[in-house]
Formats: sequence, structure tokens, C-alpha cells
Amino acid sequence: MLLETVDLKKTYRTGKVDVEALRGVNIRIRAGELVAIMGPSGCGKSTLMHLLGAMVRATSGQVLVDGKDIARMNDSERTAVRRTKIGFVFQKLNLLPTLTARANIEIARTIQGSEGDSPTDSYLAEILKLLKIDEKLDRKPSELSGGEQQRFAIARAVSHRPAIVLADEPTGALDSKNSEAVLQMFRELNRKFQQTILLVTHNPELAGYADRLIEMRDGLVVHDSGSVASAAVGV
Amino acid sequence: MKWQIIFSGLRARPVRTGVTVLAVSLQVALILVIVGLTTGTVNEIGKRIAGVGADIMFQPSGADVLLAANSATLKESYAPKIAEKEGIQSIAPVLVKISTSPLVNLFGIDPPSFDQVSGGFEYQAGRVFSAPNEIVIDDIFAKDKKLAVGDSIELLKNELKVSGIVTNGKGARVFMDLKALQEINSSPGMVSLFFIKLKDSHDINGAIAKLKLDFPGYEIRNLPEYTELMNGASIPGFDAFNAVVVFVALCIGILVIFLSMYTTIMERTREIGILRSLGASKTFIVTLIMKESILLCVIGVVLGTIGSELIVNGAKSVYPTLAFLISYKWMMNAAISALVSGVIGSLHPALKAASQDPVEAFAYE
Repeated sequence: MLLETVDLKKTYRTGKVDVEALRGVNIRIRAGELVAIMGPSGCGKSTLMHLLGAMVRATSGQVLVDGKDIARMNDSERTAVRRTKIGFVFQKLNLLPTLTARANIEIARTIQGSEGDSPTDSYLAEILKLLKIDEKLDRKPSELSGGEQQRFAIARAVSHRPAIVLADEPTGALDSKNSEAVLQMFRELNRKFQQTILLVTHNPELAGYADRLIEMRDGLVVHDSGSVASAAVGV
Repeated sequence: MKWQIIFSGLRARPVRTGVTVLAVSLQVALILVIVGLTTGTVNEIGKRIAGVGADIMFQPSGADVLLAANSATLKESYAPKIAEKEGIQSIAPVLVKISTSPLVNLFGIDPPSFDQVSGGFEYQAGRVFSAPNEIVIDDIFAKDKKLAVGDSIELLKNELKVSGIVTNGKGARVFMDLKALQEINSSPGMVSLFFIKLKDSHDINGAIAKLKLDFPGYEIRNLPEYTELMNGASIPGFDAFNAVVVFVALCIGILVIFLSMYTTIMERTREIGILRSLGASKTFIVTLIMKESILLCVIGVVLGTIGSELIVNGAKSVYPTLAFLISYKWMMNAAISALVSGVIGSLHPALKAASQDPVEAFAYE
């Protein structure tokens, strides 16, 4: 199992009030899956994404990545997990505005320790071609459309071949045409390179691009269209 | 790659970059110009005194190495007693007086004896003074005050007429008759020092030792080594003054860098969040911010050093009597001061940036 959560809980303190963002989430993701996590605003899907991406520590429970629990790791350990295992795509403003698209990818590879290869190496060249941005590498984010910026963010996220790509509302700032194109590209990345991808969205139409749909409400998973447990019992 | 982020960040914020570099250059220029002026002035005085050409300077007991700090407490009548000692070729009594408006030092001299000791003036115009109200000035003072032979200038509340202009480097900028200056100073028969020329200049220290036996308690100095005496160790408050200048400049530099880097990390919170989400360690963020700060300081050091040369040249052309000495030692000190400002000033912003929660940083708009 590539990714697994066990009774995962996260409580935030806002002033004197404790807010339970996750109240015991159990999910299991296999390598090569394209999974959509859906739910209304405030249901805990972004919190789940942050925990899966080693951005924050869990209050209790486990997050197992390749069998290793990252839920209670300290900051430097979680940073190392992000660097080696995770690729992020956020809703907007993903790119460093002062750098060219090429430099945005290079800085990620520098941080991730794969600086030796230029962004034109064969794997990355294929990704850039697939995402149809291979001729726009020398443009700055301000010279790219929203869809193109998001495609570069995807290229950067997968450039070091992470175990899993986490995309938090990746089409939230795009029009319908660009949204469709970006989601199509996520699917192609998944199909062609067996890249494991988790998409968070509140748009039901986008869920159609995923192999599997997980629905959340009030900090809990309320439906999983293809859980490993469900699959085992033929649900 | 880090440098690419740094350079692009600096280019993207030209006003912030420009103002920070300008402030660091001012820090460097402040040190170089002020310390250069104090050091240069002292050094120039030393060279000028040594330039008299005498071998020994004979001063009263407890006299300071700074001639202007002393009063006329040496009897002129001592001169013959010293002159009769073995090995003495000639002796010239000198009364040193400072005019505060305009600020200039005067030597009251007896021209025949002063010429014997110093080898005489090199006249660019005019002649030696021949009346109590006449003075000889050096070319730098003449240029500074736009004086020519025949012009008058008020010094020590006396209207004095320029009789001659000589090449600079013989002790003072203004020379007048010893008796006339003693009269002005209300100290007839008294002088500040004697310049002594030896028959054999090869063993000045030996001659000084003998004189000290005959005249115990007097300050008897080796004049060719006088320039070396004019330094921080022998001038009270000199090193402390320079240290205060460096400290003030350092504080300015630290505050400027702190404000600049603090502002920039607040502006770039989301960018730092992106880097953290990509797996950038805290060390990566800290070194990124500090390298940017140090780069700004390095540019500031280069521009500040060039700027200080321009300021010095400009000041010298307007005020020819000013003397500056910008040494490599002080260039290094100014550069180190700027770099220390860069490190200290950026430390807190860098640590703050590195400790930002990536989720909160990403939520920052």
C-alpha cells in the first residue's frame, strides 16, 4: 500500500475553541491510482491533504507512506518527506513570480537533489510535451495564462518522480476549458507514467476524471467508491 | 540555482534593492570618509612636521606629540646652550600657534636659523617676511583662501599681509616672524620647540640619548620618525573616535538591512511557502535570505568605496587644505562592517522566514 491513514484526527485551536477538522479518517491508496476527494467547504479535505503531504502534524492516528508513519514526524523529517515523496499542485499562485517557468522547475529539482539533470532530460521533456508547455519554458508566470501556469506547476510537481502528487483544487482558479485540459493532463500522467495522484475538489463534474471517488463530510469519509476493503469484498 | 532566485528577486524589486544598496554604500562611505579625514589630517600633519628636514624636535617636559596641544613654555634662551653640545649643527626655535578662524597652524620662526635647519623654503612667489605684520604662506593655504602676494588676511585678530608663497611641507601653512608672534601670543622670549639639525644624521637616536642626559625631563623626539608617532596609539581619543564612527555606521547598516529583509520576507511569504512545500529545509531558506542580504552588502561595499573616492576628490577640490587617507586597512574594516551588518541584520528575518508554517504561508495573500 502506497498511502494509508489510520484513525487520523486533526484538531485546530482557534482562540479558545477546539475545531475538529478530521475526526478519524481511514483511507488506503494504491500506487498508480487517480483518486478524487470531494466534499463541501470545511469538510476537512484540505486538512487531509496537508496531513498526507507532510505539511502539518496529526493530532492522533497514522499517515503511512510506503509503510512509514509521517503523522508525528518533526519539521525536518516532514520536510524530507515532502522533498522526496510528495509533489504539490495548489489552486493558484503556484509558481515563483520572479523566475521563468524553466527556473521554477529547476529550483524544485535543486531542492529535491536532482539538479544534475536539466529540465530537458528525457523524462521531463516528455512531461513538458505531454502538458503542451515545452515551448514556453523561458516565460515568466506573468507571461503565461492561468492554465499554462497550472500545467507548469504540475510539471514541477512530477519532475522528481514523487511517490504521490497531491493537487488541492487545481482547477479552482481556471475557466471550464482550462479546467478540463488540466484534468485531462492529470489523467494522462496517471495513465502514461502510473503516477499516483490525489485531487481535492468540490466540483462533482471533475470527479469523472478520477478512477476512484472519496467523499468527505464533517471530518469523516462518508463514501469511498473503490476502497481497498470494498474491492476485497466486491462492493 | 539559489543565486538565480536571489538575482531575480532583487531585479523584481528595484526600488527596495536600490535603497538598500544606497544605504549600505552610505555606511561604507561614512566610515571611509570620516576615518579617512581624521587619519589623513593626522598623517598630513606628521608628514609636514617631518618635512621640516630637522633631525630632532626638542620640546618642554610633558609636551604632546600634537604640537597644537602645547603652549609656549620653552625659553628661547635655551637654544645656545643646546647648540653648544657636541654634534649639533644648527638649532631653530619655533613658536607654534593655532588660528581658529580660519583654522590654520602658524610657525613663528627666525628665518636664518630655520633655513639652516630646514634647507630653506622653495618660493613660488614673493619673498620672506620683513615686517611684523607680514607672513609667508604655503601654496595649499594660498589656493584654499585664494591669496596672492600682497593680499591681506586676518589671523589671530591681526591683519597680516602675504609677502611670499612657498611650496607646502615645511611644518606649518603660515610662517611669520618669531618676535612678532611672541608679541601676539604675549609670550616674549618663549617658544614651543626647537628643531635641531645634527652634523651627522646617521645616529639620531644616539644624539637624542646624549641630549636626554644633559636635559633630563625634556621631550626629545626623532623627527624622521615623527610620522609614525602620529597614530591612534599616541593621540588621545583618536582610536575611540574612529571606533564610535564604525559603531554608528554598523548600527545604521544593521537597521537598514533588518528593515529591508524583514519587508522582503513579508512580501514573499507565499513564495517561501512554495519553497517549503517543495521540501526546502529551514537551512535552505535561511541561507537564501542571508545570501541575498550579503549580496546587497557586497554591492553596497563596492559602490560605497567608489563613492567615498568621489566624495574625497570633490571635497579636496573645494577645500584644498583637507587631507584624506583611505587605507586598504580601513577599506577592509568598512567592508567587514557592511558584511557584519548584512549577517546580523538579516538573521532575524531569515529565521522568521524559515520558521513559517508552509500551510499558513500558502494561505497568505
